[in-house]
Amino acid sequence: MEHGKHVFRIVILVAVILVVVILGRGLLIPKTYGLYGRYRAANVAEQMNARPVLHAGAAACAECHSELAAKRTAGGHRNVSCEICHAPLGAHVLADGSVVKPPIDRSFTLCARCHRKMAARPARFPQVDLDQHVNGPVEGKVCLQCHDPHSPKP
Amino acid sequence: MPEITGFSFPNDIHVTWSLMIVMYPYITGFVAGSFIVTSLYHLFDRQEFKPVARLAMATSFAFLLVASLPLQLHLGQPQRGPFVIITPNFTSAMAGFGILYSFYMLVLVLELWFVWRQEIIDRARRSRGMKRAFYAALALGTYDTSPEAIEIDHKAIKILAGIGLPAACMLHGYVGFIFGAIKANPWWSTPLMPVIFLLSAAVSGIALLILLYQVYAKLDRRPVVSTCVSALASWLWFFLILTITLEELELIVMAYEKSESWLIISELLTTRLSFSYVTMQMIIGGLIPLILLAVVVLMNRYLHEKVRNTLATVAAFLTLIQVFSMRWNIVIGGQLLSKSLRGLRSPYEPEMFGREGVLMAIALFVAPFVILWVFDRVLGIEEPEGSGGHGNPPAAPAEASAASHVP
Repeated sequence: MEHGKHVFRIVILVAVILVVVILGRGLLIPKTYGLYGRYRAANVAEQMNARPVLHAGAAACAECHSELAAKRTAGGHRNVSCEICHAPLGAHVLADGSVVKPPIDRSFTLCARCHRKMAARPARFPQVDLDQHVNGPVEGKVCLQCHDPHSPKP
Repeated sequence: MPEITGFSFPNDIHVTWSLMIVMYPYITGFVAGSFIVTSLYHLFDRQEFKPVARLAMATSFAFLLVASLPLQLHLGQPQRGPFVIITPNFTSAMAGFGILYSFYMLVLVLELWFVWRQEIIDRARRSRGMKRAFYAALALGTYDTSPEAIEIDHKAIKILAGIGLPAACMLHGYVGFIFGAIKANPWWSTPLMPVIFLLSAAVSGIALLILLYQVYAKLDRRPVVSTCVSALASWLWFFLILTITLEELELIVMAYEKSESWLIISELLTTRLSFSYVTMQMIIGGLIPLILLAVVVLMNRYLHEKVRNTLATVAAFLTLIQVFSMRWNIVIGGQLLSKSLRGLRSPYEPEMFGREGVLMAIALFVAPFVILWVFDRVLGIEEPEGSGGHGNPPAAPAEASAASHVP
């Protein structure tokens, strides 16, 4: 194999690349990877600790806004969390304790997300054909002109 | 908000596999298709493909370098790109791409090296300084171009082509498998899917080479060898017949069986996909090139050189559109129908400027040609005239562009 020197060299090069890949694989796969499944187990705790608590749930809102909370609990939206329209608590009560006005989503698209007429929704669930239901343009806060989201009536 | 007709579940009215997922099989198809052409010469010794064998291999390489980009653009996590190769996952269908991609890349780069080795050595001998060091490193420091060494190269090329052909077929068959194995979607879930994808990859690869060969011959001032164009046209015709027959048979079986999914698929094809499927995939991209290629193949003897070239080029261009439409109809079409099999959403319109937009798709398609141009600068796609020669000047432009010889 006097003339096969180049083949020998390329085989060595491929072998070196393979060894680098195998060694690199050992270095790149994190220690807790695969502990519970195909993900890095430690990442769950890291992500949780890296983020401030944003959503606190309806009970936390009720601590200050008991009147509205009671109205909601009695109405048709009792299973819809406050934070869906009013933004998470974290955008209202900041980490330093100060209180700011949260951005409230009053758009018709938010209502339409659940109440837009779709054949796949249960028939008893309140839903409307937007173009026929609204007398005028379907835009902006049009739903809230007639419906009270805290205690909606059909 | 997408318009919905019929009975659609609220959570399956979104097209999440966007234009980039259409580009992914389109680009990967060229990788496999071009490799099939280069194998016809290197593995099966079809001498008529000699003029495009090196071009085909370089094309396969150029498209392979771009093949993973649509996925990375879609996922938006490019740093994970190398991970799919270095940390293979043998139980994930999606991660299978990394294994097949890296294996094919290894085989193709090795084959490229053996095919271009003499050229690398010639360039190393001719150049000085940094350039020489670069080519010397590429040649791995051995300058052996003796007949015995070249004979060893030929053997190595044959073995690598033998491994590379199934690897290329697996790489693209796998793309079909990804769709064919999604059993919840009747428009995708058929074992024919990998076969159709593979055949249309061959179609797109050969069609692209017909176009590229014409352009490259013009730019490089070489004559277009008419036997090569005829051979490419006949193989394109052959693969196009197979592809379109299978695509239609799949539908005919569904229609005859009157399976529960046919109700929605027939509506999908005649309403939402009527333009992209019936007009583009079947008529403009299918029927017309079939007729044009039939003329090229069956009336080959009577055709003037220029007429043959033009017919083959137009047919090749239309087939490229056919293959793109096929990718579009599969990827996008499959997401327009609801899992209920009773509802459709309005057609998908890709954005223009975004990460997964139309401009990005065009850039992705252009990128391999830029890579080819760089490849030509660095290694030279074709052997210098008078093969094995040391930098013979190319033929004089005036006579070369007009002439074409039949061996």
